[in-house]
Amino acid sequence: MSAQLKVMVIDDEPIVGKRLGPALEKMGCQTETFVDPAAALGRLAECEFDVVVTDVRMDEVDGIGVLERVKALSKRTKVIMITGYATLEVAHEALAKGAFDFIAKPFKPEDLRQAVARAAEALGIQGPGAAASQA
Amino acid sequence: MPDDKQPAEPERGQAATVEGRYERIKAAEAARQALLTRPRFSFRTQIFLGFFLAFLFSFGIATSMVITIYLVENKMKFLEIASEYVTEIQQARRFEKNYFLYGTNLQDALEQVYLAKTILEKNSDELLRVAGDKRDSMIIPHLQRYEELLKRLAALESEPDSPRLNQKKKEIEMEVRQHGQEMVSFAQDVMTKEKESMARMVARSRNIHVLSFAVASIFMVYIAYFLGSSLLGTVNRFQGYAQRIAAGDFTPITPIRRFRDEFTELAITINQMLQELEAHEATLVQSHKMRAVGTLTAGVAHELNNPLNNITLTAHALLEDYREMNDDDRREMLGDLVNEAGRAQSIIKNLLDFARESGAQVEPLDLVALLKDTTHLAANQIKLSGIKMEFSATDNLPRVHGDAQQLQQVFLNLILNAMDASPKGGKIQVLVVPADEPNFVAVKIIDFGSGIPEHILGSIFDPFFTTKTKGKGTGLGLSVSQGIVAKHGGRIMVSSREGQGSTFSVVLPITTLPARIGGNMPRSGALS
Ligand SMILES: Nc1ncnc2c1ncn2[C@@H]1O[C@H](COP(=O)(O)OP(=O)(O)OP(=O)(O)O)[C@@H](O)[C@H]1O
Ligand SMILES: [Mg+2]
Repeated sequence: MSAQLKVMVIDDEPIVGKRLGPALEKMGCQTETFVDPAAALGRLAECEFDVVVTDVRMDEVDGIGVLERVKALSKRTKVIMITGYATLEVAHEALAKGAFDFIAKPFKPEDLRQAVARAAEALGIQGPGAAASQA
Repeated sequence: MPDDKQPAEPERGQAATVEGRYERIKAAEAARQALLTRPRFSFRTQIFLGFFLAFLFSFGIATSMVITIYLVENKMKFLEIASEYVTEIQQARRFEKNYFLYGTNLQDALEQVYLAKTILEKNSDELLRVAGDKRDSMIIPHLQRYEELLKRLAALESEPDSPRLNQKKKEIEMEVRQHGQEMVSFAQDVMTKEKESMARMVARSRNIHVLSFAVASIFMVYIAYFLGSSLLGTVNRFQGYAQRIAAGDFTPITPIRRFRDEFTELAITINQMLQELEAHEATLVQSHKMRAVGTLTAGVAHELNNPLNNITLTAHALLEDYREMNDDDRREMLGDLVNEAGRAQSIIKNLLDFARESGAQVEPLDLVALLKDTTHLAANQIKLSGIKMEFSATDNLPRVHGDAQQLQQVFLNLILNAMDASPKGGKIQVLVVPADEPNFVAVKIIDFGSGIPEHILGSIFDPFFTTKTKGKGTGLGLSVSQGIVAKHGGRIMVSSREGQGSTFSVVLPITTLPARIGGNMPRSGALS
């Protein structure tokens, strides 16, 4: 298995992608960011990602939709949800549908890196965690 | 499909609420002054006065009656005396005649004359009163002359051999007859006159009584009518006030009549009550607004998290990689920070502007801009519930005159209602268009949700009417909204079909109708 973790970030706020891309690359991930969830889903069909980070609330397809789609395409992919205004309801639904973790907005890049590292650990990939600590 | 549940119906103006509380307090104080500075003429006084006048009048009638009876009594007494007197004299004359014809006793005639004289003497005072100076100038001299003649006749009789006896007797006889005649006819004359005058007096007194009875009846009827109608009129007037207050018109009561009475205190108390009602209504509107703000905060908090998250991420990126970055990257990030901070500020400002308790401000408003703000305010909440909102407006609509905050509250209430009625994935349309009637602009809020069953359509504007669970709805939204719109001279109309959705239309007069602001405003009657 490759040491490089493939991560996809979906958030309709462009700044989120712009900042998270470099932040994750620093820990040695290969990152692709999307503003448009539909485009992201298209990309998911083409290629398997290790971790998908998605905002819960977006206009066209919401985070739950993305989660369902990812799980349908690849069971092993870990999905981390970013929620703006965490409601218990959505959390329960997401967990039931197999989400790996939650991060509440606003969060630091380091918070996400740790969540991704935990996901990598769960996947059995060692590299990224070491990369993060070296940075 | 029932349309236009609230027919427009002109009622008294309420612009003062829009003008501000200070104006209302001033108006109430002015009304109080006007009510109190009138001279007092209470109903108690009016009733007392009415009865007093009636008493005076009957007292007058009674007095005139007593006087008339007294006068009639006098006349009767006089007639009695006169007739006794006439009887005696006639008797005397009968004896006198017998004497001349048959030579009977003259003494009998003289005796009758004495009797007549005694009658006159006995009633001398009475006679003086009724006959006046005629007693001394005519009645008594006549009688005396007659007596004297009779006496002379008697003297002649006692010396039968006197010369020219028969001739002397003849002379005296002539004179006696003449005086006797005059005496009787004079007495009879007086009697007839007195009888006539008595009859006149009785007739007059009867007329006075009939007349005064008529006048008294009219007077009593008038007093009863006057008091009754002014009392009833006032009671009716106050009933009218109660109705208009119930309909939400809190204009203070101003004096109508020239005098103060028992109702003045009532009017002053009602005016005080109106001021308090007004204050309570303002509190109600404000607290309902704060409830709406509470509903919106979830959406706003969510919305606020986005710029906050962007700021956090960007600031941390700067902290971590500051040294490795080139100037352009740093500048870009700093620019992002500034923009996102501005975005956060505008999100809060929108809500705070709405929540702020401002004094009422009336100004020309651009309804389209106002509705854009309003839909934006609700946008996040609506997105959270998975509902889409569409906005469209006719270009170049004329402005309306009103209080931005209050109207925003109305539209927000309608949008939140539409949101509550819509299913997940539903749609709400907001339209700003010219109204069907000229010089009005319409704002339509259309949902495709549950709709309103026909049997409750008539009640939805009632205060506290709600079909929502406790804690979810107070039932004040539409009632508060209707009050605000009515004060702007407009109307809220609803059409709905169960299961298909509802359309709420707010029509507002445009600014080219200055008479509607501050003057008479039409007001929908549904609240009354
Ligand atoms: N767009 C709508 N669709 C269906 N029903 C509606 C709509 N708007 C109002 N109603 C009905 O009218 C009732 C009264 O509305 P109103 O806004 O006065 O009070 P509420 O919404 O229940 O409470 P609040 O506004 O205080 O939250 C509602 O309970 C609802 O039954
Ligand atoms: Mg409501």
